[in-house]
Formats: sequence, C-alpha cells, structure tokens
Amino acid sequence: MKQLHIFIIYMSALLPASLWAEDVTLEPVQNRRPTERSLLVGAGKTNQLDTYLSPMEYTGVQVSVLVQRERMTHLADHHISFQSTFHGAFTSTDNPAGTAKYLGGRLAYDAGWHYHYSPLQNLDLKGGALVGADAGFLYNDRNGNNPAQGRFSLDLSLSAGASYAFRIKKLPLRAAYQADLPMMGIMFCPEFGESYYEISQRGVGHDIIFAHPGNAMNLRQLLTLDFCLRRVTLRVGYLCDIRQQNARSLKNHDVSHSFMFGFVRYFQLMKRKPHPQSLSIERGE
Amino acid sequence: MNRFLAILALLLLMLTSCQKSDYDFDDTPQGNLDALWQLIDERYCFLSYKEEVLGMSWADIRGKYSGKLNADMSRVQLFEVLCQMLSELKDGHVNLSTSLDMGRNWSWKEDYPENLNTELRQQYLGTDYHIGSGLRYTILPDNIAYVVYESFSQSIGEGNLSDMIAYLQLCNGMILDIRGNGGGDLSNVEILSRRFTNEKVLVGYTCYKTGKGHDDFSEPRAEYVEPYDGIRWQKPVVLLTNRSCYSAANTFVRNMKEMPLVTIMGDQTGGGSGLPFTSELPIGWSVRFSASPSFDAKMQQIEFGIEPDVSASLDEAKAADGIDTMIEQARELLKK
Repeated sequence: MKQLHIFIIYMSALLPASLWAEDVTLEPVQNRRPTERSLLVGAGKTNQLDTYLSPMEYTGVQVSVLVQRERMTHLADHHISFQSTFHGAFTSTDNPAGTAKYLGGRLAYDAGWHYHYSPLQNLDLKGGALVGADAGFLYNDRNGNNPAQGRFSLDLSLSAGASYAFRIKKLPLRAAYQADLPMMGIMFCPEFGESYYEISQRGVGHDIIFAHPGNAMNLRQLLTLDFCLRRVTLRVGYLCDIRQQNARSLKNHDVSHSFMFGFVRYFQLMKRKPHPQSLSIERGE
Repeated sequence: MNRFLAILALLLLMLTSCQKSDYDFDDTPQGNLDALWQLIDERYCFLSYKEEVLGMSWADIRGKYSGKLNADMSRVQLFEVLCQMLSELKDGHVNLSTSLDMGRNWSWKEDYPENLNTELRQQYLGTDYHIGSGLRYTILPDNIAYVVYESFSQSIGEGNLSDMIAYLQLCNGMILDIRGNGGGDLSNVEILSRRFTNEKVLVGYTCYKTGKGHDDFSEPRAEYVEPYDGIRWQKPVVLLTNRSCYSAANTFVRNMKEMPLVTIMGDQTGGGSGLPFTSELPIGWSVRFSASPSFDAKMQQIEFGIEPDVSASLDEAKAADGIDTMIEQARELLKK
C-alpha cells in the first residue's frame, strides 16, 4: 500500500524510462525520496482594487510563472512531503474609463509540509501547513504623491489538496488540486492618509500589522492536469489567486484567474552500486 | 474528514467572492458628483477647518450642486458643476484634471496684487549672474547677495549650495527672492533650510488622516531642521515673498520664520499646507486634494498663508523707472 501510495503521488507510470541508468541498483521505492519539479507559465485576467491609490477597480491581464517542487520525506513513515512554491506575477490593468493604468509586480515564496492519505486506489489526499513571504508593488501612472503602494506579508497558511491518477484509453493522466489559505501573519499596511514622506519619517514599523482572515482574506487555488506527450510530462492548469486586505479603512484586492501551461520533471535519489572492476582496482588486485 | 471537507468548501466559497470598493457609484452625472463629494468628505484634511473659517457646510454642498445636475448634461457641463463644487474649498491643491481642462481655484494669488515684475528682477540679476541648479545669484553693488529661486521643483545640489555660499560669503547680507515660487519638492525645502541654522530648530508639525471622519488624525509629529554639516550662511537674510508662494514654498517660509537671522518681507504667502494625494472619479477624471496638513511651530494652521515680518509691496510707478521697491526695502534693512 505504501509503495502504491508513492506511486500514485508521483505518477511513476508517466515517468520516462530513461531516467534510470542501467548500472544503477535502485533502493526500495520508499527510500528514493521521489521529487517532482514543475515549471508553469501562464496568462489570464486580473481585477485590482487599492483604495490608497484609487476607489475604482482596475481590470486587465496578468502573466505569471509558478515553480513548484515537492519531495517525499522519511517523516511519518514516508507520508509527509515537503513542498516549495515560487510564484511571480506581473500585471497591467486599466481603470473602467481607460484613462489610467496600474502596473504591478509580485514575488511570493511558500514552503511547508503535507501529510498524505490515500483512502482510495489512485486517490491521494493531503493536508498541511506552509510558511510564506510575499512582496510586490502596484504603480498608478498618473497619481502624484501617492503613485504606488507596496505589498509585503509573511504568513502561515493551511494547505490542502488532492490528486487522482486515471487513464483515458491508454493515456495516463493525473488531475490535482491544491488550495492554500493564509491564517495568520504580518503584513504592511499604511494608515488611511499616510504619505510616503510620513512613512519614511516615522519608520515603517508601525505600518506592519497582524494579519488574519478577518483583515487579509487570501486564497490560492491550483487545478492541474498532467499528461505525457512522447517522453515529456506536460501540465496544464488553472490558477486562481485571491489577495485581499481590509484594514485601517483601506481596502485592496488582487484577484487573478490564469491559464497555466508547463512541464513536470521527476527525480529520485539513488545510490550507485560500486562496479566490481573498480572495487578490484581499489584493492590493488 | 467529512466535516473538515465541508468547512474547507465553505471557506473557499466565502473567499472566492472578492470585496467591493466603498465607492460604488455609476458613471452618471449624479454618480460622479456623489463619488467626488464622498472622496472629499472622507479624505480631504481641512474640512473642519474650512467649514469653520469659510462658514460653509460640506453636507449642504452635496444638495446644492446635485440640484444643478441633469441626466442629459454634457461632459463640459458636468465638469463645470464639479469644479464649482470643489471651488468652495478655496484650496489650490484641489484640482479636477480632465482632457477638457484642469479645474482649479487660484484665488489665493489671483485675488491679490502680484508684487512681482520678472523683467525687473532680471535687471537686478543682470546678465553675468551665476546659476547653481535651480538657483540664480549675483552680488549687488552695495555688497548684498541677491539669490532668486523660482520653483522648488528645480533640484538643488548640496555642492551648488556650498559653492554659492562660498562665493557670497563676503557679502553683508542676503536677499533670497522666492516671489512667484509655487512649490515643488519638499526635499528641496529641507536641503535649502539646513543652510540657514547652526542648531536644530523646531519648525512645525505634521499629521495625516487615520480614518474617514473629518477629525480622524494621527498624533502631530514635530518637524525639525537640522544644520547642514558643512558651510552654512551666517549673516542676515531677507526672504522676499508674495501671494504666489505656495505649497512647498509656503513650507520653506514656515521653516525660515524660525531661523534667528531671517526676516520675512513682502506680502503674505499663498498658503497650501496640505500634502496632496490623487484619486479619481468613475468618469475617469483625476482628482487632487489635500490629504495631510502641516502646521507652524506654534501648531497654527498655515493653509491660508504666512504673514511676513515686514510688509512690503511693489510700487508699479517706480517699477516703470526700473526700481523694485521690495528689493530696495530689503537692501535698506540689511544695511542697518
């Protein structure tokens, strides 16, 4: 069951056979610490509001890149994986009248652990926690003394997901879903009418506040489908990223829906068994 | 497990619907007027002060100008009504910017004598004056330094200032002429102010809005000018002002008023003590408004200007003869 579990998670059925060298003796699968790496790029629509800059909602496009790495660990009898995610995004949006523009950028990094559970064959459920950092900006191209707003947060998130491996005809597929929900942390939020000049004079410390779902309702959801094309595992997906703040009489949100596309690579740790001939040389025979 | 999944699904449903702005107004004449009224009501920093000094009620303004709207009015007509509404604030930092025009109230300078003749000023500078960043300066025949700074938007380099003071150091005094200076960058105010004090000087206070209420302000923060660590001016200064000294120039006059060797001479400044922010209306027009007030060292409002230590005005008749009576009065003061 354990081997089957790991097998399902990492879709070893899709692995290109050439990943293993012929002269390598594999360890038992649970010791190989299989690792999945994915690189996705995407584009989609975004809706932005920041009442520090404007009371209007801006809409436009987002391009983003998502790099994920997930590796099984030895913890809890090989039921716990470590995952890290890097998310970068650039947005360009316009106000409803088309007379002003926002340019935005964001970098986010999350890392944490998931506990895996397989109630059904081919189905893997996981739940865990992530710690993350998020930094970015939003620039308005015509504002005077309040031309941009900074973003910064550190948070602890709950994370849950599921994946299901199946076949359509002879094509092996895997559908996966993951949602990350920040529960607490700290974030940067200036006061209602506080200027950059005041922030620089008074120090940024008093603008770092406690963040919780009551004032920072954020959610990232990623739905993906993996399939194998020749010897490459490709991934298509839908990324829904919702970042919201409602604190100090200021509101902002950044809601994006993106179509993602990329590829997945799988690795496993393995130990090479010493070649009999090399052993002979070392012994001076 | 089922309970966990149910809670998770509920949370996801709640979070997927994003929050809305507090300004949910349509792009109609009434919607735009309401959006503008609310924007000023919540974010403008001088409402209580203006209501007290000007005797107007912002709550009544909404009804007064809503009565001038109709659904079929043109953009030009809407622009005029909204500009009239904003003019009630009598604030040069309040503007409505559109492709049609920039709405403004410049009564702070247009209702008063200009007290400046730029051609005459140029005659005093001559042709062989020095230029250091945004500063122009020369030495008048009676060994008085004459320095003109027309806009705080023009940057000032520390090196330029040091060279200027070194060049003028043998003069008996300095006339610093900022008439017509409509403001600019506050950092230039600090750079220039630091050259006129040998000690740390309290020059005023500033605060900002912390909420939507008319009187929701942060604790005032004291503002100081610290002396420049290098060459500084050590002799008497006459700072020439007029009604066109606004915004950052007004702040500079506030600072200089606290310097021991400085005399403010001329007309009252135009004011403009609110740091402006920008926002917008559903129609897409940009709105600028005062967001953070600053005060003088006695915590008094300087929104409507700063009175000079010595009043002076430009005599137009003598100006025709090539005499700037304000500069001449400053020279006389420095000779004493």
